[in-house]
Amino acid sequence: MALGDYQAHMERCSRCSLCKWIPLMHIKSWRFSKGCPSIEYNKFQSFSASGRFAVSLSLLKGMCDYTERLMDIVYKCQLCGSCDVACKICRYDLEPLETMRELRAKLVEDGQLLLQHIPIMESLRKEDNMMMKPKAERGKWAEGLNVKHITKESAQVVYHAGCNLSFDEERWGVARTAVRLIKNAGVDIGVMGGDETCCGARAYAMGYQGEFTKYAQNNIEAWTNAGVKTIVTSCADGYYAMKRLYPKLGSKFQVLHTVEFINYLIKDGKIRFSKTIPMTVTYHDPCHLGRKGEPYLPWTGVEKKIRGQIIVHDPPKPRYNGAKGVYEPPREVLKSIPGLQLVEMERNREFAWCCGAGGGVREAYPDFSLWAAKERIEEAMATSAEAIVSTCPWCERNFLDAINENGNKTKVWDIIELVEQAI
Amino acid sequence: MTLAKEVYQAMEDIVGPENISEDPADLDAYAFQMCAEISHDGSKFTARPEAVLLPGSTEEVQAVVRMCNKYKLKVKPYSTGWGVFSGIQAKGTIQLDMRRMDRILEIDEQNMFAIVEPYVVGATLQAEAMKQGLNCHMIGAGGGCSILASACALGGPGPDSISMGFSAENLLALEWVMPTGDILRTGSLGSGIGWFCGDGPGPSTRAIIRGELGSFGGLGVFTKCAIKLYPWPGPPTMPVEGVPPSYKSPLPNNFRAYTLAFPSWEAYAGACYKIYDAEIGYIIHRQFNKLGNLGATFFKMIFTDPGKTLDDIEELANKPEMLKLTEEMKISFQMVLAGMTMRDIEYQERALDEILLETRGWKVAAMAESDMQKFTLLYFIKLCFKNLNYVLTGGYWSSFGQHGTPDYEIKRVIPTAAELLKKYQATGLLADTGADSMMGSIGGHGGGGNFGMEQFPFYDPHDIESVKAAIAYFDDAARTAKDKGLLRGVESSVRKLTQQDRENAFGPQRSLGQWQRRVKEAFDPNDIGDRRYGWLEEPKE
Repeated sequence: MALGDYQAHMERCSRCSLCKWIPLMHIKSWRFSKGCPSIEYNKFQSFSASGRFAVSLSLLKGMCDYTERLMDIVYKCQLCGSCDVACKICRYDLEPLETMRELRAKLVEDGQLLLQHIPIMESLRKEDNMMMKPKAERGKWAEGLNVKHITKESAQVVYHAGCNLSFDEERWGVARTAVRLIKNAGVDIGVMGGDETCCGARAYAMGYQGEFTKYAQNNIEAWTNAGVKTIVTSCADGYYAMKRLYPKLGSKFQVLHTVEFINYLIKDGKIRFSKTIPMTVTYHDPCHLGRKGEPYLPWTGVEKKIRGQIIVHDPPKPRYNGAKGVYEPPREVLKSIPGLQLVEMERNREFAWCCGAGGGVREAYPDFSLWAAKERIEEAMATSAEAIVSTCPWCERNFLDAINENGNKTKVWDIIELVEQAI
Repeated sequence: MTLAKEVYQAMEDIVGPENISEDPADLDAYAFQMCAEISHDGSKFTARPEAVLLPGSTEEVQAVVRMCNKYKLKVKPYSTGWGVFSGIQAKGTIQLDMRRMDRILEIDEQNMFAIVEPYVVGATLQAEAMKQGLNCHMIGAGGGCSILASACALGGPGPDSISMGFSAENLLALEWVMPTGDILRTGSLGSGIGWFCGDGPGPSTRAIIRGELGSFGGLGVFTKCAIKLYPWPGPPTMPVEGVPPSYKSPLPNNFRAYTLAFPSWEAYAGACYKIYDAEIGYIIHRQFNKLGNLGATFFKMIFTDPGKTLDDIEELANKPEMLKLTEEMKISFQMVLAGMTMRDIEYQERALDEILLETRGWKVAAMAESDMQKFTLLYFIKLCFKNLNYVLTGGYWSSFGQHGTPDYEIKRVIPTAAELLKKYQATGLLADTGADSMMGSIGGHGGGGNFGMEQFPFYDPHDIESVKAAIAYFDDAARTAKDKGLLRGVESSVRKLTQQDRENAFGPQRSLGQWQRRVKEAFDPNDIGDRRYGWLEEPKE
């Protein structure tokens, strides 16, 4: 789909502003009622989903042109999907998130590149990662793990570390623990080590759809060649790409987030806890595992009208509204850890506040990115939790950076780290 | 016209560089409005403002207004900014987006009022009020709309008007940056003794600033106001169950949530009068019929089943049980009872049963099942699903919407509104809802005299032929109302009024428009306020 294909969505937007809030029925306080980091930080209407419908329509009609401000309007947004969930509670016929993605794709296609993203995309093209690090260092995180390398021997399951964990030495333990726990449970698991490449998710979010397709096809081919059946990752961004986007390119692999796999192993009795962790924690739903983590549902069809003007689709079109995201497995894992108390933040599950790292914002607008993270940390602190637990290295890194900047004492854990502590 | 450099600089000096923009993309985001295509011949955009400013305080608002007077610019404020009447109407206008002024300044539990800034919405004020055992009137447009804008500058009825009145009635003291840039504090605030009353001690300006329908942002900027709150006998936080969009809230023991149906419109009206007499009901509204003959299917089978979407509606609507339910709910409204005590809810339930017996009405069994009661409760208490109004086509507006007595509306307005919509729906250019998409509350604060009913045509804003049909319908609605001797409805807020329309809208006394103009001239000598409010006469040449 191209931006022009969404013109009807732009014109059918009722500009009701629900995209700015969490679903109204879930509002529990004035303080934590907002859903969209973009308009909360940037204030102007153009920084909301509705505003971007307007800007897209204006652009398509030639009413406005590319300016530095327009680039900010388009890119100062995490594409977290909060607007999409809130919109679709009442509107079945609008796709604000898809429209915003296509708006970025159009900018890239028209050569309107955000300067801050250019070196990152160069890193992807030259070094196969989004972290601007040499590809030769990619496999270091797995050294000494004594795990299969799937380019040399086949394995049923491959663990995809992703760019972030592969190059964040401070967080290598997350990936290493995940592989070790799954391997120790008797699962035939391997890694690609230094041969692993980017999943393409962040390039996709930045509007570089060509690069995304290239990396997705490369991964699909590598896994096919290795005889892999299941992909496991600890990265919510990667999970979203493989679970939701790759099937459009023909991928048929089972895709699991580490937390789903660990939850199965706990329920099967293959992971047992022997230690108590006397701690109160709150769980942060990563956007890409939560509301955007719904499985891909193939659909080919057309819009048609019934009863005069009522807009429907033939055949019925799948609705992605966050209802089928991955919410329970992390909560079940946390509740199974002895001594651990889970308390919820006001904004959770499909209407969780974004960590601020997504959509190329962390790379291009670090102040905005950290502001969003600080907002989330404040929400976590309001629950009296001692720690934020999550399931995405991007979220965790952004929280850690925000905490370091603030001098805050809140701890940040990946869920796998708590599992390991309790074994 | 673009702002002269020195004017832009002067504005920027007031609000700061991060709170002003004249970039075309920003401006078009403000010109993009719901129903713009109806008032602007198919375009989704109103005129572009010269610049958009986001003031952060009353002082900044005052300075901007004074600057507009100095440079002969018009100024148009909006809060949550929903509707074509929020957009600017003429070139040479500065748009004020009030979103930075979004605080609930105080909730006075004992005296039962809240002080709010313009960007506070119903959903947030209600959430905070409920923690203190209080609730606020939720305007009909829903929980995502500004409380202050509704109270100070628009209409403001809603499903809970039977127990909590209209927005205008709930307006207490007010801080007003007048079109001259002077600040007037009204009611008790004007006497320096607090926010508890809008009409004194101190100056009362209710009729000047808003009258019945409000000035739509055309008469200065309202920067703070106090709003009346009401008792809330429910939990401090309403728990929400389910996955989107099928959210529900458990029914406390002292609450009931029903759909009540009647054998005739006369019985419907009779029940309304008896409800006034019995003084029961927390919320009463004809809502689910808004989607016409698809309402029953939609709310019963699609909206409460997260696996279904509008794409399934045709198949579901033709199931025998849904055809039967649709017929059963043809003349119905929803009612939430809230008991301040268990004895109270028992009394209300008994009184309701007696009213139903006397009017041959009934509780619709399918809508009284547990999940439907939970859904109905959440829907009406929080008014959080109101934008389902757009679900069919993406475009709609109200026609024939005025308040009257049940007898007046049922005998005179409803048949006329049904006949006209039927004619236009037959063209296929409006959604066919069976010609009855009428919605409205059954009474105002304390009972009768404010029975409301509006008829809604649904059109596709992406389809110019459908838009043209909607425009023709709205204009025909105005003509038809005149021919039948009815008051004109709120289609006047999206279509330009002629002098004849104005006379028709408010009855034979022309003086209303004339007085409104005189008020505006007195308070806005440089005519900096937007002139959107439809009954304002054009200035004399």
